[in-house]
Amino acid sequence: MNKLLQMKNLERHYETPAGVVKALDGISFEIFEGERVILLGPSGSGKTTLLNCLSALDSPTGGNYSFKGREVPRNNSEKMTSFRRENIGYVFQFFNLLQDLTVLENILLIQELANKKNSLRAKELLELVGLEAEVDRFPGEISGGQQQRVAIARSIAKRPTLLLGDELTGNLDTETSNKVMEALVSACKQENITSVFVTHDEGLVKYATRVIRIDSGKIISDERTGNDSGV
Amino acid sequence: MSALLNKRLARSLMRTKIRLFAVILMVFVGVFAGITFGGYAHNLGSMYDTMQADDERGANLADIWIDNRSTKWTPEQVDTFCNTLGAAWDNSSISFALDSCEGRTVTQGAMFHSNDTGDYIINSLWHGIPEDANADRIWMPVGYSEGRTAVAEDEIVIDAHVTDALNLNLGDTVSIGAGNTTADFIIVGMGYHPLHVLMAPEGSLFPPEPGQYVVGYLSDAGMARLTGDEIGTSNTIILDLEGSPSFDLPDTQKYEGEEINVAKQLVDSSLNSTEMNGRIRDRGQNEPVEVMRQDLEGTKRTTVPFTVMIASIAAITIVLSLQRLVQSQAKEIAVLRTLGVERSSLMTGYLVAPLVIGGIGSVFGALAGPYGMNGMLDFYQDFAGVPIIERTVPNSVYVTVIGLTMFVVFLSGAFPAWKASRLDPLSVLSGQNEIRVGSNRLRKLTSWMPTTLGLSIRSSVRKPIRLSMTFVAVGISLMLFGSIQMMTVGLQDTMIGSLEDDQTWDAQVYISPDSEGPVVDWAEDNSAHYEMIIEMPIGSVADSDDIERSFTLVGLDSFRNGMRSVSVIEGGTPVANATVTQVIMDEGSIKFLRWNIGDRHTVSIDGVERDVEIIGVSAGELARTMYFVRDDLSKILGVNATSIYIELPDGIEVDSTLGEASIGIVERHSLLDGINSLLDQQTEFLQSMMYLGLLFTLVVMFNTMIMNVAERDFELATLRVLGASTRSLGTMLLFESILIGFIGGIVGVIFAFGGAALLSASFSSWQFFIPVKIVPSVSFQIIGIVLLIAVCMVPVGVWRLRRMDLVEKVKDLSQ
Repeated sequence: MNKLLQMKNLERHYETPAGVVKALDGISFEIFEGERVILLGPSGSGKTTLLNCLSALDSPTGGNYSFKGREVPRNNSEKMTSFRRENIGYVFQFFNLLQDLTVLENILLIQELANKKNSLRAKELLELVGLEAEVDRFPGEISGGQQQRVAIARSIAKRPTLLLGDELTGNLDTETSNKVMEALVSACKQENITSVFVTHDEGLVKYATRVIRIDSGKIISDERTGNDSGV
Repeated sequence: MSALLNKRLARSLMRTKIRLFAVILMVFVGVFAGITFGGYAHNLGSMYDTMQADDERGANLADIWIDNRSTKWTPEQVDTFCNTLGAAWDNSSISFALDSCEGRTVTQGAMFHSNDTGDYIINSLWHGIPEDANADRIWMPVGYSEGRTAVAEDEIVIDAHVTDALNLNLGDTVSIGAGNTTADFIIVGMGYHPLHVLMAPEGSLFPPEPGQYVVGYLSDAGMARLTGDEIGTSNTIILDLEGSPSFDLPDTQKYEGEEINVAKQLVDSSLNSTEMNGRIRDRGQNEPVEVMRQDLEGTKRTTVPFTVMIASIAAITIVLSLQRLVQSQAKEIAVLRTLGVERSSLMTGYLVAPLVIGGIGSVFGALAGPYGMNGMLDFYQDFAGVPIIERTVPNSVYVTVIGLTMFVVFLSGAFPAWKASRLDPLSVLSGQNEIRVGSNRLRKLTSWMPTTLGLSIRSSVRKPIRLSMTFVAVGISLMLFGSIQMMTVGLQDTMIGSLEDDQTWDAQVYISPDSEGPVVDWAEDNSAHYEMIIEMPIGSVADSDDIERSFTLVGLDSFRNGMRSVSVIEGGTPVANATVTQVIMDEGSIKFLRWNIGDRHTVSIDGVERDVEIIGVSAGELARTMYFVRDDLSKILGVNATSIYIELPDGIEVDSTLGEASIGIVERHSLLDGINSLLDQQTEFLQSMMYLGLLFTLVVMFNTMIMNVAERDFELATLRVLGASTRSLGTMLLFESILIGFIGGIVGVIFAFGGAALLSASFSSWQFFIPVKIVPSVSFQIIGIVLLIAVCMVPVGVWRLRRMDLVEKVKDLSQ
């Protein structure tokens, strides 16, 4: 497997009136192509901060972060956006679909913004997540689980190299969560997309090939699950 | 609890300082304008009341005038008429007494004035006022006029409007004429006259440049000396009645002239029985008086709508801002509701906030209002040339203006307050209130477009009520801006257009009946082209409500190729000697009388009924005018010409020979200068209101665009996280701005045209008609301005995008 990204002694410190808060305190790891990584940890452990740094939403205050052998831009909003546009897919906890656009249009919009508009592929992706019958419906007209599947289809529509998700099933019941994760695993496999998800739900470990546990801004364990082929 | 909630709301509002300042500014302007207009109208009204009053301080404006400029009544004729009328009055059932019946001469003439720059013949009007006159006296307010009235035969009072411009002082001698001889008079006073508040020549509504038209008040003996007639010879009889009998107001649909009409009928029969002919007019038909009354009434009428308009713009902005606040505080409100806070406690703040905002704006507006009023009164004093002595703002004006403003502003808090109190905590906390289903119709309409474009359109119209309110506010703002501009263009076209483009004469020389010979000789001696015209304000007709409407008769030799072309917008031009006399009527008359081309009507010409056929409709006349072929009109009136147009060859100027042969000369360039200067003054005044409208448009659009961007934080942050570049999102915002700007511009044009039509309707009367049309240049300007404002807001959105803290936003998006 090829190495996709590498973090070395990554730090994200915040200056607060109460002193310096070390959200990430010397994180180092590598992620290889095709891996499905789950970041587990209690609330305030730094997992979301790590995800933000991975997606170049946030700039680390120390350490190195390289992606495909190149340093990831930091402290430059436009370059960071460009990095995300070219490499990253993102799934939110609350789906964040645009309510004025239909299911299909939500996907087309992202393709259009990345200059990769392809309605055939958009429809294929919806088929992949089992929503081919809902293409012309508005997000407000479908269930939460369906909306999250649309969000997954949207996030991979532009063929990102790395797919990130923050508590993407946190707002769903167990049965729906499983359906969403299955759709996600299936899509990642088919599209050969590496993924990293933040969760505190141990039940999702079965969908990962690797689990990294974090606490107080440090990695406390990094294990392969043996689920190389997923569920 | 409620106090803490209100404090919390106040803090939230303070976070939007610019918006808060803008709303307070709007309320301030609304109250300021209301008090300015209200106080102005009040004091102007007082000035007229004082001037026209029948007491020692006033000039006692007459109630009825009988005049005939083409005749001279002997003192015996006047006495006979007055006695006949008095007897008839005593035998009638009229409830008010006839206080006085006085004859006097009012005649056009010229002043021969010399100064360092040369010799001038100034068009003039001379009144012969007996020492013991009861009505239409000279108004000489203490401290604002000089000297005394003329008593001796060589004394004159010059109207105070022109003394400064001509550098005339008490004791100076002036040479004047009235088509007879030139005589010298000593200035013994400077004062005003209620018929000459508007210092415009008879038959015109435009005051020329100061010093280019003179009105003087002689004694009856002085007038006899000037005209060579016996003392007491008259062409005008003035009647003063007990009290102020109601007369018809030409600008209303209702007929209010019942009272005075009875008196006028008696006057008419007395004229007939004494075999005298003349035009009988009451105050409503006396143009110089009526125009000023309508101007005052117009100002009074403007106060309330103007205040409400501005207060409404402020109210809409407050509604939108508070509504947005409720939306952004929905979660907090839901939490408070869950914790058991009562609805009324929540509502209080939203109801009180607009009152506080309105209160602050009102206090400043009330403090500044008197300054605005004084500014307007100063402007009027300069413009009309009469002193406005009393300057107070009545309490009723304060109460009305502030009360109205506070009421409108209070209403603006009611809706957001109600919305806040009705928020369902469960729905808000579960995020259900955020879920909405897009419009399928909109989807179908925009499905063919690129998705970004479709999203822009859908986002723009996502909140139709808010958008509509924005457009209404923009529309009202642009009503102030555009309607004034459209009306100004219409006014300019009417006032200047025909005089500048359709007329080629250089001088209009007024003559006494059958006295054209010397003027024609002068023209031929100087190789000047000339053209005789008849122009007399002696036509009248009863309209569909049986109200008598007066108009000017104009007789021309040529309608298309003469020195005064008529702009015929419909129909053709009259031919002479038709079985029924053919005429052209101006578009204002046609509109008011609801006449059509081809109609035949009976009109009164110099008191005699005559049938005419309407052949064409003309444009470009402020005053109501009926055009005849001069030959036809000459046969009807028995007058060849009342004035002569002259085209002066190069190097030839109007001289004293021509002046002595005439009873007054008007030069076209002076007339144009006067009108242009009047328009400039008006424009200067109106421009302040126009720019106010523009400022409001800016504030309203700014508010909406900022809210649009703020409201789309969720959507823009999502797209940003997903990798959308600033440029692509900026393009989306730009398109959205263009769309809103374009629609706003069109709404603005519609409102501006509507406003111009309303303004024109409120200003237009039988005496003064302003046509309104959609002026393309103004329309494009309005659309362009709104578009520009909308597009200028894009960088604000982009700036907001750039400084968006995505980490914080993602946190928000995950909550």
